[in-house]
Amino acid sequence: MKNIIILALLLSLCCCKEVRAQIVNQLLFSKTNGVYAMWDGTLVKTMGYSTTLSANIDLPSPTLVYNQGDSVKLTLWNKSQGAPHTIHLHGLDVDQQNDGVPQLSFTVHHDEKKDYHFVAPHAGTYIYHCHVVSTVHVQGGMYGMIIVRPTNGSTTQTWDNGYTYDQDMAWMMSEVDTTWHHDTIINHTHDTSQTTHTLPTNYTPQYFLVNGKSEQQLSGAGLAVNANVNEKIYLRLANIGYYGNRIVLPSALNTKIISSDGRPLPNLEQSDTVMLFPGERYGLLLEATGAITDSIQIEYFDLNTQAIQNTQNVPVQISGTVAVAELSNEQPSISCSVWPNPANTQVHLNVALLQSELLNGELLDINGRMVHQFSTFLAKGNTSLTLPITELGTGVYFLKLKTSAEQLVKKLIVEH
Amino acid sequence: MIHNRLCSGLKVMLVVLVFSGLLEDAKGITLVEKLYINRDSMEMVTGDKLPYLVFNRSTNFEQQNAVLELAVGDTLDLWIINTDTATHGFQIKSIMGTSLSIPAGDSVHLVQEFSNEGVYIYHDPQQYPYNLYLGLGGMIYVKNHLHERFYWNMKEHASNWNTTLVNGGTVSLNNYKPDYFTINGNSHPDINADSTARIEGNVGDTLILCIANTGRGIHSIHFHGYHAEILYSSKHSHHVGRSKDTFPIYPMETLELRLVPDKPGEYPVHDHNLVAISANSIYPNGMFSTILIAP
Ligand SMILES: [Cu+2]
Ligand SMILES: [Cu+2]
Repeated sequence: MKNIIILALLLSLCCCKEVRAQIVNQLLFSKTNGVYAMWDGTLVKTMGYSTTLSANIDLPSPTLVYNQGDSVKLTLWNKSQGAPHTIHLHGLDVDQQNDGVPQLSFTVHHDEKKDYHFVAPHAGTYIYHCHVVSTVHVQGGMYGMIIVRPTNGSTTQTWDNGYTYDQDMAWMMSEVDTTWHHDTIINHTHDTSQTTHTLPTNYTPQYFLVNGKSEQQLSGAGLAVNANVNEKIYLRLANIGYYGNRIVLPSALNTKIISSDGRPLPNLEQSDTVMLFPGERYGLLLEATGAITDSIQIEYFDLNTQAIQNTQNVPVQISGTVAVAELSNEQPSISCSVWPNPANTQVHLNVALLQSELLNGELLDINGRMVHQFSTFLAKGNTSLTLPITELGTGVYFLKLKTSAEQLVKKLIVEH
Repeated sequence: MIHNRLCSGLKVMLVVLVFSGLLEDAKGITLVEKLYINRDSMEMVTGDKLPYLVFNRSTNFEQQNAVLELAVGDTLDLWIINTDTATHGFQIKSIMGTSLSIPAGDSVHLVQEFSNEGVYIYHDPQQYPYNLYLGLGGMIYVKNHLHERFYWNMKEHASNWNTTLVNGGTVSLNNYKPDYFTINGNSHPDINADSTARIEGNVGDTLILCIANTGRGIHSIHFHGYHAEILYSSKHSHHVGRSKDTFPIYPMETLELRLVPDKPGEYPVHDHNLVAISANSIYPNGMFSTILIAP
């Protein structure tokens, strides 16, 4: 036994019920010197936000993650050398002062640094984007996703008392029309006395993106869907383009549409097709009951003609648990023994890790409700953890332990 | 201003209540209306003029189609007078099974009872979809409440189509590239000057927005500041009850939304197909308006 860690869990046993609102200070730079490589190697000039001054402008801009109830101070430091910029917190319903709309809220001029103050509302999926000459600046790349997690920060629950899931994925759809990315447009002059702005005459995009990626890039990490049978995936979708999206999912994923625009749907909808229009977000719960190799199809259609202009496919690989065990000769990255079981006052976990890493643990009751959560950084090898359980009622619980590579579920019986 | 409108709204409803009280079957009142099909041209925000056709309440050409409003159970007694030199028609989508044909200079009479709350599109189905495209599409709102309400008839215009069509030319439906985007015939900044379109109210009020898309494009209306609830959706009845901040609307479809503002301020409501926030490529002269909420 290398380490003995007694987790001070007595206080936090009921942590899921507690409001863990935090004060979050965050800084974003706005810049217009982005050079973004499309899937075919074409370099496109972009504008966007970054968390450090030296970072490249990515497409989309970084995802901002908060917990419901967080008091956020989001600072925008404009380093664009040209036009003013703002942050519109799309869907967060912030007050007028912090809404990021020129004339109605403040704008941030070059070298200025100004703060947006808001409280992260309902857990859900939102967007942030610039609202200065919005048609140009959003197409230019000034957009990103905002994810608001439940009050307790859970990464396995959709919202307070919501659905539980095993992994979540977030896809932001957009398009790029390279004629809107010429230097004269991305670095357009800006006269503050001018109330109108001339746009390029046509919008006919050549690139159709999911998180800035397309074609073979969609097989890459972070986009392709990889899961096991009966694993629940919470898929967050957002459309920040100027086209419509029709998402067609393999029927074997048993898709349930559970939320939209940061709110649970009053009645969940079972459908393999989801339509997503500019500015909309949807939350889907996917759970395959059998192994599949397929893809999720994303169509991009012109809103004026409804003609499909492009289709992208994101691979889906759902493995049967048996198949994984047979195929894999690798040692599991985590193993754990639990004793005593049944237990009365406390339970000991002997966790063995292949490498030093962050271990995320959750204790779920028989209904899948999370009753306790912890995360702790553990060294490679064996570690003993002690979990007090005096506050838990008699019954069956599941202990879920997650490493970066896999997760392990142990059944635990509490008897008083 | 808001107060005045509210008062007049109440008076109208009082009259309705008195009337319905007097009627034996208490089924509602009969609303007598006349719609004139007028041809002239529409002045765009840029000053350009497009040949246009509209349903107006008189022979005076106005560039927005009349909104007809009834309560659930009311009957519409409607005359449609064709002042144009071409044959036109009349139909109420999903209410009337067949359409009425109206020869040039002629008129037709229609009596229709409305038993369900909702927003309905009336239009000219002749030469479909070209007479509709040229402007002949309006809305009927069937209400079941006393709340303050606003009306958006959303439509885009491909200026070259209007000229081509009135000169007997043909256009390709598959190559539709609108360059003007209007709400009740206006683009930003004129939408806010239209008191039937500009959403105004106080914190805690129940405000109703009736939307009809009489254009050919799909629009995706985004509210800043607030979520609103879908009360009626002609295309997706299962969307009723959803609370959202962005509302897509398909061509020839309608929505009824309820907004209960929880804070004061002035917030944009606009099409999030941001290309539609323009007129002849001038930003932001398109489908962009603001909500104004007093404390
Ligand atoms: Cu900007
Ligand atoms: Cu937005």
